[in-house]
Amino acid sequence: MPAPFILDRSSVTQVMAWVLAALLPGIAVYVWLFGPGILVTLALATVTALAGEAAMLKARGYPAKPFLLDLSAIVTAWLLALSLPALAPWWLIVTGTLFAIVVAKHLYGGLGQNIFNPAMVGYAVLIVSFPLQMTQWAGPLELTSASLTLEQSATVIFGGDVPKTTLDAVTMATPLDALRTGLLQQLTVDEVMTQPIFGHYGGTGFEWLAAAFLLGGLVLWALRIISWHVPLAFLAGVWLTAGFLHFFDAGRFGAPWFHLFAPSVMLGAFFIATDPVSGATTPRGKLIFGLGAGFLTIVIRTWGGYPDGVAFAILLLNLAVPLIDQYTQPRVYGGARKGKEPQA
Amino acid sequence: MMTMNEFRSLFHNGLVKQNTGLVQLLGLCPLLAISNNIINALSLGLATTLVMAASSGAVSSVRNFVPNEIRIPVFVLIIAALVTVIDLLMNAFVHPLYLVLGIFIPLITTNCIVLARADAFASKNRPLHSVVDAVAMGLGLTMVLVVLGGIRELAGQGTLLSGIDLVFGEEAKQFVLHVLPDYQGFLLAILPPGAFIALGLLIAVNNWQKARAERRVHAAAPMPA
Amino acid sequence: MTSPIQFALKNALRTGTILFVFALFGTAMLAFTHDRTEPTITRSQQAEKLALINQVLPAALYDNDLLASQQSVLPDDLLGTRQPSARWIARRGDAVTAVVLEAIAPDGYSGDIALLIGIGIDGNVTGVRVTAHRETPGLGDYIDRAKSAWIDQFADKSLTNPAPKHWKVAKDGGAFDARAGATITPRAVVKAVRNALDYFARHRAAFVAPPPAKEKIA
Repeated sequence: MPAPFILDRSSVTQVMAWVLAALLPGIAVYVWLFGPGILVTLALATVTALAGEAAMLKARGYPAKPFLLDLSAIVTAWLLALSLPALAPWWLIVTGTLFAIVVAKHLYGGLGQNIFNPAMVGYAVLIVSFPLQMTQWAGPLELTSASLTLEQSATVIFGGDVPKTTLDAVTMATPLDALRTGLLQQLTVDEVMTQPIFGHYGGTGFEWLAAAFLLGGLVLWALRIISWHVPLAFLAGVWLTAGFLHFFDAGRFGAPWFHLFAPSVMLGAFFIATDPVSGATTPRGKLIFGLGAGFLTIVIRTWGGYPDGVAFAILLLNLAVPLIDQYTQPRVYGGARKGKEPQA
Repeated sequence: MMTMNEFRSLFHNGLVKQNTGLVQLLGLCPLLAISNNIINALSLGLATTLVMAASSGAVSSVRNFVPNEIRIPVFVLIIAALVTVIDLLMNAFVHPLYLVLGIFIPLITTNCIVLARADAFASKNRPLHSVVDAVAMGLGLTMVLVVLGGIRELAGQGTLLSGIDLVFGEEAKQFVLHVLPDYQGFLLAILPPGAFIALGLLIAVNNWQKARAERRVHAAAPMPA
Repeated sequence: MTSPIQFALKNALRTGTILFVFALFGTAMLAFTHDRTEPTITRSQQAEKLALINQVLPAALYDNDLLASQQSVLPDDLLGTRQPSARWIARRGDAVTAVVLEAIAPDGYSGDIALLIGIGIDGNVTGVRVTAHRETPGLGDYIDRAKSAWIDQFADKSLTNPAPKHWKVAKDGGAFDARAGATITPRAVVKAVRNALDYFARHRAAFVAPPPAKEKIA
């Protein structure tokens, strides 16, 4: 692997293992507050990712075993699974995961060559193609009138016969959706926020999930697996943009804390935007990358056609990485400045 | 007059070797925008072929009267006039299809492949050769458009030939093939990103085939003594 | 002997003439084609407009020249319009039977939804069609008749059927279905149709007035 990994001595496998470990608090909170359905999604995505990875490695003439064991496919699978609605149908999970592994990762040249973050490509493909199925979010248990066991969740995901009333009882609009819907009905932010789906800072349940992802991210930072630049810049970008809009018109734009404590922002800031392959590599570049992605997240959430903007924001910034890297390359002492002709 | 060999080589050039969609990668804007189903793709491909044949024939016929320094304005003038004629004719006689293809008919004028063939081939060759070359190039483009349209239509909505009624009237609706009944639909294939992804895959398959063919030639070649 | 300047002038004159001849020829070709296709094109365009109106207005309801009955309507909050829109008056004999209004639902998920609404003189909806929208493909676009028959449920509805408090989507306790996961779009359409009916009720007297001696052709 090239330079971006900060910890020189750690192999890809070790880094990936730490990333997976850092996601565990988030997963635990997810199960605790939203029910065990996410475990089925995670398992299905993992199996699909490994199968897709093995098939592509074979087709490309690589030995399967060492690459499968580097865990990178599982990281992609988990990040995608955690971005999907917990009760999404199985074919949605399989399609998204295969797209991430086969197209976004291997057709672009495999680990280290992919321009875009594979998990986010998978997510984007799904939200663009199947917007209806991407709304099957499980509501926080303290608000729903029913709950599903692990077995029932699996039945829902695999398309088994579940009474529609049960399904309606456990699914709910996410806080971001609820805010958007309320604002479109000419309600003010304060009026919308009186709904039970909104908690202290973010959404009920969702804010704790965000906190758990934040905790995992801080562990990665403490272990120096990720640097502080991207997450801090991303969070600052979200906070400043949302704060500016909120300050400008508090009735029409959600509070900055609300936007910050959506789980997708924490997951994006610490686990996705920090991807060393598809992200910026220079310290200054990382700051620009993070700020840009945070800014676009709020812009897309506020004016875009889809409920959340984290995935699109990160993909757009992935696209800008070569440019960012070129203009933030530390100048070699005595060398010419980038973009300026030396004086004749 | 034209020999069979010349004819064949012009067609090989247009359909395979210098295919505008897969090799030269010219005129991608309409290629990507209109290839969301077979009927649209075929209609735009044929309209482009017609413009190319007419403009190459015209350019070649007048090539000896056009001074070099004004050849591009003259060629553009000829192409633009022909395209506008086709635009008007389609508006008048296949109005529903005209509404679908919309802006992309007048845009054939700016399709670089038309001017490219007029300048690179027709201005240096006899009319018959020029027309054959233009038809071959146009059909090469149409072929790619149709394959792309077929892939996107099948993946996107599970049908083939949908919209055929826009060309042949209401009764033609029965010819629409519902290949995958009760298909949920895969919007990505129909939306613009699907065009880029599908074209990328087509180019990859084409390059892979070429690489394989080359390897076979190398393997079969006798070792130098 | 010609001087270089004379030579350049002569050359410019020659190329200019050639370009002129080509331009003349091209223009002649266009003028000819335009002249020959214009009547057909006008007919196709009118037929297209009429076909659209016919989707919201049963042909049995009128015998007048609908396109000639087009009138301009000032922007109105109930129609959601911010610019003058058009309306068409259907008559059978001398009696006004229905009116077709252009309306805008301004609160779609991604902006304006343009509607064509036919309203019978009795205040019943004869039909509604979405003519332009930017709703999410696959989610909110089922209001488009090309995607689903959802929009047909407005036929024969009026301000009293269903009762005013049921002029809402089912999820809000109303009489109109909406697909789960995409209720913002249908909500906007239901509201816009209701407002258009309201607009009609308030201006009904102006519609039934006897036809002006000369109809303005827009």
